[in-house]
Amino acid sequence: MLATITDDFPDNPENMKYFYDKYKSLTSEESIYPKDKKVIASMCIHVPVEIIHALGAFPVRICSGAYSTDMAGSDLLPSKICPMVKSTLGAIHLQMLPGKAEPEIIINPTTCDQKKKISEFGEEVGAEFYTLEVPPTKDTEEARQYWHRSVKSMTKKLEKVTGNKLSRRKLRKAIKKVALAQAHFRRFMELRKGFPVIWGKDAILVVNSYFFDDIDIWTEKLAALNNELIERIKNRKEIIGRQAPRILLTGSPSIFPNMRIPILVEQLGGIIVYEEFCSTSRMLYDTVAVDEWFLYDMVPSVADRYLKPSTCPNFTPNDDRIRKILRAIEEYDVDGVVYQTFSGCQLYDLESRRVSNAIEDAGVPVLNIEIDYNPEDSGQLTTRIEAFLESIKDNKRKNFKK
Amino acid sequence: MKYFIGVDIGSTTIKIVLVDEEGNMVDKIASPTGSMFNKNAMNALNMLLKMNQISLDDVLYIVSTGYGRKLFKIANENVNELTANAMGARNSLGEDIKVRTIINVGGQDTKVIMLNEDGKIANFFMNDKCAAGTGKFLDISARNLEIEVDQLEVLHFQAKDSPLPINSICAVFAESEIISLLAAGHKSAEIASGIHYSIAKRIARMAGRRRIEDAVLFDGGTALNKGMVEALENELMRPVYVNPFPQFTTAYGAALLAKERYELEKDNL
Amino acid sequence: MKKKINKIRQYINGLRISRFRFWIQLISFFIFVYGGYFFIEIGSRLPIFSCPYVPGSPGGCYLLGVQHELNSTWSSIFSPRGISILKSLGIFLAFFLVLNKAWCGFVCPLGTVQDWITKLRMAMGFSFTRYDQMSFKRLKVIKYILLFLLILIPLAINNSFFGAPKLPHGMHTPFCQICPARIILPLFNGDTSQIYIDFTDTTTIIMTSLGLMVAALFFVGSFVKKRFFCFFCPMSALHYIFSRFSFLRLEKDGSKCTRCGNCYRACDVGIIEIADDITSKNIVKDDCIMCFKCVEACPEDGALDIKFFNIPLYTASHEGFFKRYGVGDENTKPINLDELINSKEEKNDKNNRSQR
Repeated sequence: MLATITDDFPDNPENMKYFYDKYKSLTSEESIYPKDKKVIASMCIHVPVEIIHALGAFPVRICSGAYSTDMAGSDLLPSKICPMVKSTLGAIHLQMLPGKAEPEIIINPTTCDQKKKISEFGEEVGAEFYTLEVPPTKDTEEARQYWHRSVKSMTKKLEKVTGNKLSRRKLRKAIKKVALAQAHFRRFMELRKGFPVIWGKDAILVVNSYFFDDIDIWTEKLAALNNELIERIKNRKEIIGRQAPRILLTGSPSIFPNMRIPILVEQLGGIIVYEEFCSTSRMLYDTVAVDEWFLYDMVPSVADRYLKPSTCPNFTPNDDRIRKILRAIEEYDVDGVVYQTFSGCQLYDLESRRVSNAIEDAGVPVLNIEIDYNPEDSGQLTTRIEAFLESIKDNKRKNFKK
Repeated sequence: MKYFIGVDIGSTTIKIVLVDEEGNMVDKIASPTGSMFNKNAMNALNMLLKMNQISLDDVLYIVSTGYGRKLFKIANENVNELTANAMGARNSLGEDIKVRTIINVGGQDTKVIMLNEDGKIANFFMNDKCAAGTGKFLDISARNLEIEVDQLEVLHFQAKDSPLPINSICAVFAESEIISLLAAGHKSAEIASGIHYSIAKRIARMAGRRRIEDAVLFDGGTALNKGMVEALENELMRPVYVNPFPQFTTAYGAALLAKERYELEKDNL
Repeated sequence: MKKKINKIRQYINGLRISRFRFWIQLISFFIFVYGGYFFIEIGSRLPIFSCPYVPGSPGGCYLLGVQHELNSTWSSIFSPRGISILKSLGIFLAFFLVLNKAWCGFVCPLGTVQDWITKLRMAMGFSFTRYDQMSFKRLKVIKYILLFLLILIPLAINNSFFGAPKLPHGMHTPFCQICPARIILPLFNGDTSQIYIDFTDTTTIIMTSLGLMVAALFFVGSFVKKRFFCFFCPMSALHYIFSRFSFLRLEKDGSKCTRCGNCYRACDVGIIEIADDITSKNIVKDDCIMCFKCVEACPEDGALDIKFFNIPLYTASHEGFFKRYGVGDENTKPINLDELINSKEEKNDKNNRSQR
């Protein structure tokens, strides 16, 4: 997959090399993580990483996109389950976590049904799980209070696991560290609003690597990439013409190496300008706002950032997701939306009707696809995506003519 | 007189349509695809030209579509078969009937294409994993009833009793079901119409999950089977149209696209 | 020219308005608690608690004026003399409409005292409390009840409502008798004379005792809750009636809002609508003190905006947000895509022209 990503496309930015190499290192035999830090694994975007950083540990998100471990996970789980969950459990079982991570503990939030039951397999796969209680709604006061208590409990547990105590200074530093990464990330997303200077598949790779990269290094490399992209904009170096359909990707998250849809879309003439995934943009967009810089306010601030702005379909209602997508459609000048659902992912499937209708009402066509991790079976996908892109191109051509 | 050509290179058959400058269909030809797409398509094309006593110089623009479209070397452009199918469908029933849904039951797959008011593709469903609900199922059934495929239609209209329901989801299991019905002494006529309804039900389920809009065009080789048409109408509970050349709709659409693209290019020059 | 204005606006949007507010509050406190000593006189129809019981005050709070004016008979009120009531209201509005409820957040000395108590709490490391939504909804009516009473009681002293007996004269300025400003603000002038119980008759005993209790409650409340008193303030209720006509506005653009809730977190009073309401343009609610902490905490460009008439003064921006966090630098400044594209073009044009 990595070969397809790097070789099949022209004009990859120079600064992408660091990220490509980082992905190569994922299959290394030795742990790529610093020896002096404990690794704390997480299985969802709702785990507050600031707290993990503040306790001197290394957060790694282990949500997996690999088909090989999907098959391993199928031995333990029913077949109709979300492939990402199967893949992750398989990876834990086979000790094939990204970069040979050896986590002290795996934090598993009670977000989607399928994910939360994985904690029960702890003994069988030889891992310790911690269940982080996430409320099923995000707007009510009860939910907020429940979540605050939940995060506090998690903090206490992590303090025991890492042997460090949470201090005001350390948490402040951690919040600022993450804020810096967010600032660069926002800039990166701004650069994709104009004519395309970076492929969507590269953008997904960059943000996806936040899962397992050292945050300081990641931020530095992203800053360098941003500067290169700015040069490209100044020199008008477009990677694809203006008539290429600008696609927004949303739904069940694309995680390396399960990059079939983005690659197909771009191989068939489209360009992805925005992805609304919990494996990419949602990780880094929302900010933490602290009122009083003491632990009694900093910990709830961090917690709040992971609840209220979340547009995960786990929460009901989730109209914020529709608003976010519609806003992105306007800001990124989107021509078409591809909504992907993993077979077995009920949450995204349940939302697809309302979300697709809302997008279509706004005048943008939507392509709904159901996929799994199986790398074959691309025939129908190719036809459908191609027809979708062609009809958009046709429209653009006709409108251009007017 | 100048012409435009549309070439549909399907998985089993190549279909070529010739249209004139006004977009009227002048002639058409079908021939097996075989393994050498380009050569076989060229042969068919040359045959079509000879039949109409014109040369390649009289052809202004060629558009290819279908499975093997990228391999047809002399095509000016290639388009996805959904686009071509939609174009052909919209223009094959005359001015008054606006096609919004195309149900294309081919030999190997079944496609449901939904168009919006302007004729653009709004949604698309395809069944290419399973034989049930495709023309393949008719082939299998005909073989089990020991008749030719085109006899199924005749049998359908001979049925006096109501169609026998075929309950199996899978075409392979349906085969055994048909055999047991025959063994139980049921008539082929009722079995044939039962088969038609089974396919129609499956199609209705696949299409009906979203919103089907009138007018519905039944396309693909299977549409020649009037028994299938009746079954589909009853399952969808709405009139179902068939144009005079259901296997060639996609190729026709490609030819019309050839005309459209040529005119666009001309304006830009 | 437009570019320059944008650059200035960008700079302003990166500043901390809370810092600016701290200084304005300090200066205002000085003016309204000590200004009288420096012969400053601002009249007695002020839209804040500039309490006339404070020896050094430069003027009086409008609520006192209202209570005095309504302490008359109906015939008096509806006579030509009654026009002074309207004139009074007019002067109050003339002050109020300029700054809207920012009088509360930037100028009111009682508000400033609460903010100082909050700082004391922070210095001592104590946490704060918030009302839950149910209590919030129930308690917020108190300010309207107080406003209603301070209008009704003076009238009921001089007039009989539906044959009911007139209220005793001891309740003549009912709100001032229970107002914490009367007891607390003079302390800053070294005046403790307001801490007393008036034993003249039962009414005065009750009223002045209530006053002492409210003052004590004020201290305790402000310590555990930010801007505790403002939630019950009848002046705030009076403000809100006229707020929408004001020149200074706090506006929201719902299309830019992600409902992240940062503004709600920052809000001293705890107004959830700033975050959740995505349709209203004017987002000033009855409890709002226009301290603008919400605008400071908002990371979405243009979602919240402070406007004077229609001129934007301070707008939420992601650049400002990150700058205030100390993570903004050259590499994270926002980019203007059009500028970037055009910059190279201009250079090219110049080159082409010189080559010809």
